[in-house]
Amino acid sequence: MKRLLALLLLAAAMFARAEDVLYLYNWNNYISEQTAARFERWCGCTLKQDYYSDNEEMLAKLEAGAAGYDVLVPTGNAVQTLIRKDELRPIDKERLPHFSNLNPAFVGAWYDPENRYAVPYASTVTLLGYNATRLEELGLPTDTWALIFEPRYLAKLKGRVTVLNSHRELIGAALRYLGFSIQDTDPAHWRQARDLILRAKPYWAAFSNSTYIKELAIGNIWVAHGYSSDMFRAREDAKAAQRPFRIAFSIPNEGAVLAVDNFVIHKSSRRPDLAHRFIDFMLNGENAADVSNLIGAGNPNAAAVPYIRPEIAGEHAIFPTSADMPRLEMLRDLEPRQRRLMSRLWTEIKVK
Amino acid sequence: MTRWLVTLPPALFLVVFFLIPALIMAVASFREPGEFGGLAPLSRESLGLDAYRFIGDDIIYAWILAKSFLVAALTTVICLLLAYPLALLIARSPKRQRDLFVLLVILPFASNFLIRIYAWMMILGPLDLLYSPTAVIIGMVYVHLPFMILPLYTNLEKHDPTLLEAAQDLGAGAWTRFWRVTWPLSLPGVLSGSALVFIPVLGMFAVPELLGGTGDLLIGNLIKEQFLDNRDWPLGATLSLALTAAVLGVSALTAMYSRRTLR
Repeated sequence: MKRLLALLLLAAAMFARAEDVLYLYNWNNYISEQTAARFERWCGCTLKQDYYSDNEEMLAKLEAGAAGYDVLVPTGNAVQTLIRKDELRPIDKERLPHFSNLNPAFVGAWYDPENRYAVPYASTVTLLGYNATRLEELGLPTDTWALIFEPRYLAKLKGRVTVLNSHRELIGAALRYLGFSIQDTDPAHWRQARDLILRAKPYWAAFSNSTYIKELAIGNIWVAHGYSSDMFRAREDAKAAQRPFRIAFSIPNEGAVLAVDNFVIHKSSRRPDLAHRFIDFMLNGENAADVSNLIGAGNPNAAAVPYIRPEIAGEHAIFPTSADMPRLEMLRDLEPRQRRLMSRLWTEIKVK
Repeated sequence: MTRWLVTLPPALFLVVFFLIPALIMAVASFREPGEFGGLAPLSRESLGLDAYRFIGDDIIYAWILAKSFLVAALTTVICLLLAYPLALLIARSPKRQRDLFVLLVILPFASNFLIRIYAWMMILGPLDLLYSPTAVIIGMVYVHLPFMILPLYTNLEKHDPTLLEAAQDLGAGAWTRFWRVTWPLSLPGVLSGSALVFIPVLGMFAVPELLGGTGDLLIGNLIKEQFLDNRDWPLGATLSLALTAAVLGVSALTAMYSRRTLR
């Protein structure tokens, strides 16, 4: 009988512990294991993560009825979508004493002017990563989208270039190169971008959303269109493996996409208390610095900067300066009609 | 009464899990995409043939469907060429070995499909075949080969060996015995194996996504893209109905052909 009671108590204790679970729906590799473990120790709870590799994927899963997530990490345009769909729970700033740590430049962004729902966490720039040693040998420029769009440069890079397998990012880069805004929705400009892409496509090796990190780091690919945090990883990997070449990355002169990812609380959250504790924990400068130090993302947290390794904090392609800012644009969501046309152009880009 | 009890559950299953989703799909194809994905609220203006017109006005979608049919047909033919000799060998080996061979054929199913495709990525990478149409065909054949071998084997195994002996007694050589006796008798197996390969290949999107290159987009990828990346359900539903219609068309043709030849 005593043993049974003890067993029951144990079961009850386990249940109570199992109750303290925070469900985070996050980007792949966006919170370091060390940070996650530190949070679990600090709050005495369990952090469970599911991953997505694309905002659209996350929105599509929510649209199809996925529920039970407490915290999501959407990019600005997806935050706006989620707000307009009434999917988010307002943030209680009283419960976020560290909110004032945020860099004012990232507070009150267009997608949530009063930060009622979104707390900025990290930023990335979509840019060009390249094998600096190789490009120097070939005498190619490194600061322009022409590198992936102009046949006169591509002729020397055939089969050594990958671009993102994302219609908004790739068409966005093409629009900037043509001198248009990334927000441009004029179908004629989109068609110009398509023509530019189709002219360059025969020189590209693949559309790749993640394998380019490895391919750059081992030297198979010399130029990749991708995210600053991934380029950072490729650079560190190549360094660690003592490759005979150097990986670098920079923001093209013509301008690029800036993505700011935010913590938001989903309406279906069963533990808003834990969600707030998590967000405030991540706002603490020392914890916030991890995403830059370990993953190479830009940081909207001013209190984090002293903790960030100087070679990362000083990297313009990760921490854009105020001189870079006017060239950077955030993606905004498209209307259904525009999405259909964009998808049509993308299909054509893919099959031709 | 017993007949009812036996047929009702599967019939119910088909109605709930096949007919109703197919009807939902059909209705979705006439509606408008919602602002954030899903479907726009139902109203008189939001019903129409927009998605059908969009696909119909544009040769590119018919072209992708045709290309997918070509890939499916090629995969089926290669599977048949590879599977037939193997199935024949298994069917004609001693009873005890047969079970072992069949086990070996279905053994790959013991590990996850995606892991096996990743293994192929590691094989094809160094051969410079990865991210090419050839890689897609190799992957498709690899994944679907057992579905061709098994129906062929069950058919070939049932052949009466005395028929071949009789043919031999009448002076037929090995080739004639195969063409005049074994092949015609195996046609039902060939047909069901082909259907089991052809139809899944048409809808497959994982293999081209993982092994294909910049141009290897098939109808399955396009449908998946509408739901997961582009949030345009009506267009996805319409494309998927076009695929279903095409598959039903092919099945009807095959059924007509087999009724004529097998009788």
